[in-house]
Amino acid sequence: MDLTILFMAITYASELTLLSIGFTLTYLTAKIPNFAHGTYAGYGIYVTYTFAKFFGISPYYGLPVAFLVGGLISVIVFKLVISTLGKMGSGAIVLTIATLAIQIFLGAILYIYAYAFIAFFKQYATGFMLKDWDFKIGDVSGIFFVSIGISLITVIALHYLLTKTKLGIAMRATAEDPELSSVLGINTTNVQTFSWFLTGGLACLAGSLMPLWFQCSPMTGSGIITSIMAGSLLGGFESVYGAIIGGFTIGMAEVLLTLAGQLVIGNWFGEYRPLIPMAFLIIVLLIEPRGLQGFYENWQKRKVAPKPKEPEAKEAKK
Amino acid sequence: MYANIALGVLSSLPTAITGTNRLIVDIAMFFGLLVIVAMALNFQYGNAGIPNMGCAVQVIVGAFSVSSIVMRVMFTVVAAAGVPLTDWNNDFNWVYANPANVGLVNQYIKTNAMMGVAFFLFSIAVAVVLGSLMGYLLALPAIRLRATYLMIVLITMADASQIIGRNVVFISGGTLGVWIPNVFAWYPGDVGVISAVVTLLLGLISFFVFRTMLNSPYGRLMRSMRENEVTLASVGKNVVGIRRNILMFASGITAIAGVMNCYYLQFSAESGYQRAYWTYWPWLMLILGGPGNNAGTFLGAALIIALRRVIIVFKFEIQQFFFFPIAYMEDIILGGLLVFVMIFRPNGLIPEKLLYIPGVNYTKMIKEDVKVDWRAAPKSRAKKEAKK
Repeated sequence: MDLTILFMAITYASELTLLSIGFTLTYLTAKIPNFAHGTYAGYGIYVTYTFAKFFGISPYYGLPVAFLVGGLISVIVFKLVISTLGKMGSGAIVLTIATLAIQIFLGAILYIYAYAFIAFFKQYATGFMLKDWDFKIGDVSGIFFVSIGISLITVIALHYLLTKTKLGIAMRATAEDPELSSVLGINTTNVQTFSWFLTGGLACLAGSLMPLWFQCSPMTGSGIITSIMAGSLLGGFESVYGAIIGGFTIGMAEVLLTLAGQLVIGNWFGEYRPLIPMAFLIIVLLIEPRGLQGFYENWQKRKVAPKPKEPEAKEAKK
Repeated sequence: MYANIALGVLSSLPTAITGTNRLIVDIAMFFGLLVIVAMALNFQYGNAGIPNMGCAVQVIVGAFSVSSIVMRVMFTVVAAAGVPLTDWNNDFNWVYANPANVGLVNQYIKTNAMMGVAFFLFSIAVAVVLGSLMGYLLALPAIRLRATYLMIVLITMADASQIIGRNVVFISGGTLGVWIPNVFAWYPGDVGVISAVVTLLLGLISFFVFRTMLNSPYGRLMRSMRENEVTLASVGKNVVGIRRNILMFASGITAIAGVMNCYYLQFSAESGYQRAYWTYWPWLMLILGGPGNNAGTFLGAALIIALRRVIIVFKFEIQQFFFFPIAYMEDIILGGLLVFVMIFRPNGLIPEKLLYIPGVNYTKMIKEDVKVDWRAAPKSRAKKEAKK
């Protein structure tokens, strides 16, 4: 066994990390699981495809464009649907079903875009892999370094944004309690719009890295949503740092466990790869619904055990 | 023309069911199927507030119970009756000899009508039992948690069941699918017509079952759970248990739709039970018609099914105007419609009505209640008592 499969696992895991971070940020801002989150990644895939096959230049030039496209779609979704429904006082369930509708709507538009390539440019666009467009360092594909680099930069930048800048602190405050933060003078609408822009942009960026190693189709984006949710849920659903660990774990586990299953049990195990994140999801819900964050909080509580306060009370009496 | 259609639908001669008549039978059939699913969903979401995003799983259980359990029982019984069936015991023979075996079973049912009816009733019973069991399993990981977790689990289960059905040949013939014996072979007319009539009848029965349950004290319990779970728990009701029971009951009813879909198509494959189809559309019907009342569900189901079936039937006429498959146009229309309805008609086409309880006039009670000033009432009573 060479190291290629490990590189592939790490590439996939870093892309999944970006997606899980975005999913968690959406959950923090709007308190809903956004089922359309995977479809944003599908748009990223097609930005890369357009840059490679239509413009004929290296797909890496498409990364900023992908970020902007994803952010734009996400902001449009937020402004037109989520924000409007939220103002009308619809509950979380109605909003979640609306995201399901958006997923179907956006997925159909992506298919139409792919079929336009087939109809007008005679290029096969519904199942492709752009590994030839990648550069190589030694024997390793460049996408391995690029995806690791981008996810590391994103994690560090996000940490800086959320802890050191005013905007990030406002984002955290708005996620915690929108009414209270608006009392403190934070423009919650703008902050929420920015969070949605960030989530969509990150999702689309992750998607744009995908076709350089994996086979992609318009369905890929919608199909990956289970892994994203599993990653986010493993991280605790309400913690960005948890989502980083969770997304990376699920990505590695999905590739490596499939490989292990194929080697140990038999080749047919590869068909069951999508079941691995689902199994993680159910196991996490059965053991600790709050995921790694819950474990961390329990550990913290045990570490700082409440000391008996009896001596103080005696002193006060004296 | 209308007389022709009526003749075709009523007389159900095999020759009469062509063209437009076939479209009408098709619409009636799929209306029957999806109205069962949508009514069960209305029972869960509209009345009890359980966001069941796993309708596809419940339908797939019904379909797979027919193709994996009932069909084997049929083969065993028919083989015991002396019909020379090909061996079906291993996976290869199960799929390979399936068309020949199904043909022989159909000929047997043609002469033994009672066996056909028995097989049909048996399959419904199996589907209801397995559906309820599936409802219990679905409820296991997330019924105690927030609604969001339940939605996530159910929506992933729908994909999981499809993957399992695709890879385990034992269940539904894998990717190839299997043919299903026609339990209505004894009927001289068209199979589509009788299965449509039976499905509509089952829909009617389940409508009365749901209505009775909603008008019973349990229905009021469900509605109170939808409004406020904490209050209900404080009165001493087991919220988790009620929620699980409702999910199990509705799962059992939804599984019937899967059974009838199998018998209508006389074919079963996992690819026919996609999440987008069997989960999203019932939700669209429910939201369009208005959650919380069955009349709205009927209206929503009728509108969506008519739109869908007309698009499918006239696919080739419409297709020439588009460069992409027409199915994606349909996705755009139906996906946009849901958001449109949510924004512009949040209560649906028919808003929810108050429950009907015999002998209690709710509207009158509410009007009188508004007139009474509850804050002033105790004081005025106290004043009266003081005067006495």
